[in-house]
Parts: sequence; structure tokens; C-alpha cells
Amino acid sequence: MSKGQGRKQAILGLIMVSPSFLLLLIVVVLPIAQSFVVSLREESGGIGLGRYAYLFEDKGMRDNLIFTLRITLVSCALVLAVSYAMALYMRFSDGRLVDWIRRTYMIPLFIPGVIATYGLMNLLGNHGWLSRFLLVFGIELPRIIFDQKGIIIANLWFNIPFATMLLSSAMAGIPASVIESARDVGAGKLAIFFRVIFPLSFKTFLVALTFVFMGVIGSFTAPFLLGPNAPQMLGVSMEQIFGVFREREQAAALAFFTFLLCSALGYFYIRSMAQEEASRS
Amino acid sequence: MGWYFRAVGTRRIVEFLLLTAFVAFFAGPLLNLAVLAFSGQWSYPDLLPHQWSLKWWSFVLSKDDIAKSIGLSFLIAAIVTALSIVICIPAAYAFARIRFPLKRFFLFSFLLTHAFPKMGLYVSIAVLFYRLGLMNTLLGVVLIHMINVLMFMTWIPTAAFRNVHAAQEESARDVGATPFRVFRSITLPMAMPGILVASVFTFLNSLDEAQGTFLVGIPDYKTMPIVMYSIISDFPSSAGAVFSIILTAPTILLLLAAQRLVSADVMASGFQVK
Repeated sequence: MSKGQGRKQAILGLIMVSPSFLLLLIVVVLPIAQSFVVSLREESGGIGLGRYAYLFEDKGMRDNLIFTLRITLVSCALVLAVSYAMALYMRFSDGRLVDWIRRTYMIPLFIPGVIATYGLMNLLGNHGWLSRFLLVFGIELPRIIFDQKGIIIANLWFNIPFATMLLSSAMAGIPASVIESARDVGAGKLAIFFRVIFPLSFKTFLVALTFVFMGVIGSFTAPFLLGPNAPQMLGVSMEQIFGVFREREQAAALAFFTFLLCSALGYFYIRSMAQEEASRS
Repeated sequence: MGWYFRAVGTRRIVEFLLLTAFVAFFAGPLLNLAVLAFSGQWSYPDLLPHQWSLKWWSFVLSKDDIAKSIGLSFLIAAIVTALSIVICIPAAYAFARIRFPLKRFFLFSFLLTHAFPKMGLYVSIAVLFYRLGLMNTLLGVVLIHMINVLMFMTWIPTAAFRNVHAAQEESARDVGATPFRVFRSITLPMAMPGILVASVFTFLNSLDEAQGTFLVGIPDYKTMPIVMYSIISDFPSSAGAVFSIILTAPTILLLLAAQRLVSADVMASGFQVK
């Protein structure tokens, strides 16, 4: 390739990426930067961290924060445990039932969040379907909807298929020969999992963790529709501060604070992707 | 019973029970809505409605704002899909085939759309849109829908273009095809499945988007999920169930049509580098 042609390619490439990159600047980078600037505006008119101090000083806000973190951690642990088990199971089992699940488990990914939430509300609610079924056996259903249990269950519903999808595509990338040779040298099932499968799918595991964590912490629909009135998840509280109380500066501060909460994971996610790409090319 | 369990094997039975629980967990809520939508009277604690009816269908369809929201949702989803194809596919081709400076930086910059919690990002955008006067405008709603799709709409097609063997393009060029011709009759058709999956996913994503629209589109841009929010609080559950089916129908239809193309591998390429 001649030098002139190389430069022509470089310009062409830059032109082709620039529209989407520009859009990215407008809808992601710019809003984040300016929400930080806005959040520094104090109620008194000066500049300072007062809006952030409020997040910790206000009892209600503090409860919301702890509530959100607890739900996020519990959801992440449950989602990843079930998804890992499902991905492993789908990789190493055969049979009609498994085939059938393999073909259908991704459907919830495409179901609108509002609908799934509404379905769960009807199914698990006070006089819902599940309580009617359990009544036949004389069991009384505990309160699930308008409670943190409901939010966690909805999180499982939304996130398990997604995490399973990522993990099972990682499992598919592990060559059968590697597992067989481990088996040949006498490794047991547990040893194969911890020495071979887990290390080889660890990166995807972390990617899945990142997505689930951010998905739950930034969720709105499920906690809005089936969560308790107080304490609230941060997503609901943010919407309220912005839409109902119209305190844009406070909403911006809360938004930026959630970015900080997730920044370690976000950084890790981008870095590991970049490493992967570097080792590939 | 004991002999039966031993004959089949306890393991297989536990396996079967666990899988059934898994399936019931995911199918239950949807099945419940399907039953509700066709129920006339269903009093507690009956397991099934004792009267089936279509009356909620005519009720829902006769509401003006509901019919309007369906049209609006499809319009927005179509605009979002078309725009993101125009914007993202050239970028995807460039990432897969063209050498240019800072390529990796540009490729990974798209990760930013998924590196922040959604509601926080939406609120930040709403604060910005408020200043720019984009609140309650079509442009504002379309832009907020595009955030979610920007990454996989670029990455899935990038992976698809990369999977087209350069040798095939070269041999076409050897027999005298122009670069454009090569793209149109070799590269594009071979990358088409990936592009289609990304487009279908984009369309559905836009149809389903609720939280961002709720923040910036109120009160004029009430898409289907937004109307659903108010139906849930204002109407009996059967009405909500009917509207749920209307909202989910396009998803099911598009999925059935694209069924052969949607695989974990293709989808996963939209969220991580493989």
C-alpha cells in the first residue's frame, strides 16, 4: 500500500466513525461532564460539595443508598450463581429438555421490562396466581410485591438470561479437547471446574458481573412499579428528585454519585476489553 | 413410588425439577398475563377464570391515547433503527476493514454507553436536554433511545464484517470487481445476518424503552411502555394484560422471523470483544 493510499484510508476511516462518535459525545460524555458541573452549584448560589453532603446527611437518602447497595449485591450474587450453573449445564448436558431450554432461554431478553414487571406483579401479588396455587396446598404466600423481595425477583428475571447468554458463549469458546485432556490426567469434576473452566471464563464472568451490577443499580421500572415506597432504589429516588421536586442540581449530584459508585467496575470493564482486543490483534 | 425413583435415578428427577422451576419462573409471569387478558370474571381464590371474554380487548382498543401510543412507538422505533443503521454500519465497516489512527480508542469509546448506570445517565441527559430545550421533543426521545443501542449496533456488525474472509473479497477484486461492487455483492450479504440481528434488537430496544422516555418525553411523547405505567395504576389488571400482549406481540413476531439468526454468540459479540 502506497503512502498516499494509506492516508486516504485513514481519512476515510475517520470520516466513517465520526458521526457515531459525535453522537456518543453528545449523549454520554457531555451530559456526564455537565451534570458534574451542575451538581457543584449550592443552594445558596455558591460553588461547593453541599449537594453531595446532603446525600449522606439526609436520613431518607442514606436509607435509600444502603437499600440500593444491599439489593444490588444480593441480586448480583444470585444472578451469577444461577447463570453460571445454567451455562455449565447447557454446555455439558444433552437431551430434549436441554435443547429446548437452549432455544428459549434468551426470550426474556426481548420482553419489555414493563410487561415482565407487570406479569410478576400479577403472579406474585397479594391475591395473585401463585398465592392461589399455594392456597390449594394450604401455604400462605409472604408479601413479595411492594417489598424488596419483589425487586430482587424482578432483577433475577431480567438479568439471568443475559448473564447466561454471555457465560454460555464463553463456555462455547472452551475447547472440548482441553477439558478431555484434564479428564485424562484424572482431574475430577470440581478440579476441572476450578482449574480449567473458571479461569478460562473468568473475564466473561467479570463482564457479566459489571452488566448486572450496573443494570440493577441503575434500574427504574421494576423498583418504581413493585418496590416499597420507602426506602427507594436510587433510580426511583433520582427520578423523583428530578421530575417531582424539580431539583435538577440535586438530581445531577445523585446521578454523578452513582457513577462514582460504579466507576471501579466501569474502569475495569473497559480495561479488560481493551486488553482482550490487544492480545487478539 | 420408591422403586420408580430408583429406576429413573434421583439425579435425573432433581434435574428435571430444577429445570421445571427454571422454566416456570420465566414463563409464569407471561402465562399469567395471557390468561388474564382473556378472562371475564376471575375471583379469588379460583385457579382459572370461570368466565372467558374478549371485552377488555375492545375496551383497550377503543381508547384513543392507547391507539395513538402504538403508532408513536412504532414511528420512534423506526426512526431510531434507521438512524442507527445509517450512523453505525459505516463505523462498523471501518472498524473491521480500514486502517486509521486511534482505531482502538474509537472502538472502545462505545463501551462508555454501558459503563454507567442507566438511570444516572438518563438524569444527566435530562439535565442537559432541559438546558438545550430538548425536553418533550421527538429529537430528545430519539437521542435517548439511541444511547442503549449505539454499542451493540456498532459491535455486532463489526464482528460480522470481521468474519467475512478477506480472501473472498480479494478474489472478487482479482476478477475485476470495483471496491463498491465487492462490498455490495460479497461483504454486505455475508455480514447481513449480524446486521439484521443488531437491527431487530435495536428496534425492539426502542419499542421497550421506558425509563428514558419517562424522563424526557413526558407529557407529549407517551410511547407504549409509558402508557403502560398509567394503565397499571388506573385500570383493572385484565386491561393491563391485554395491552401487555399488544406491546409484546411485535417482539414475538420479529423474534420468530429472526429466530435462525439470533444466537448467544452473535448477541454476545455486541457486549464484549471476542
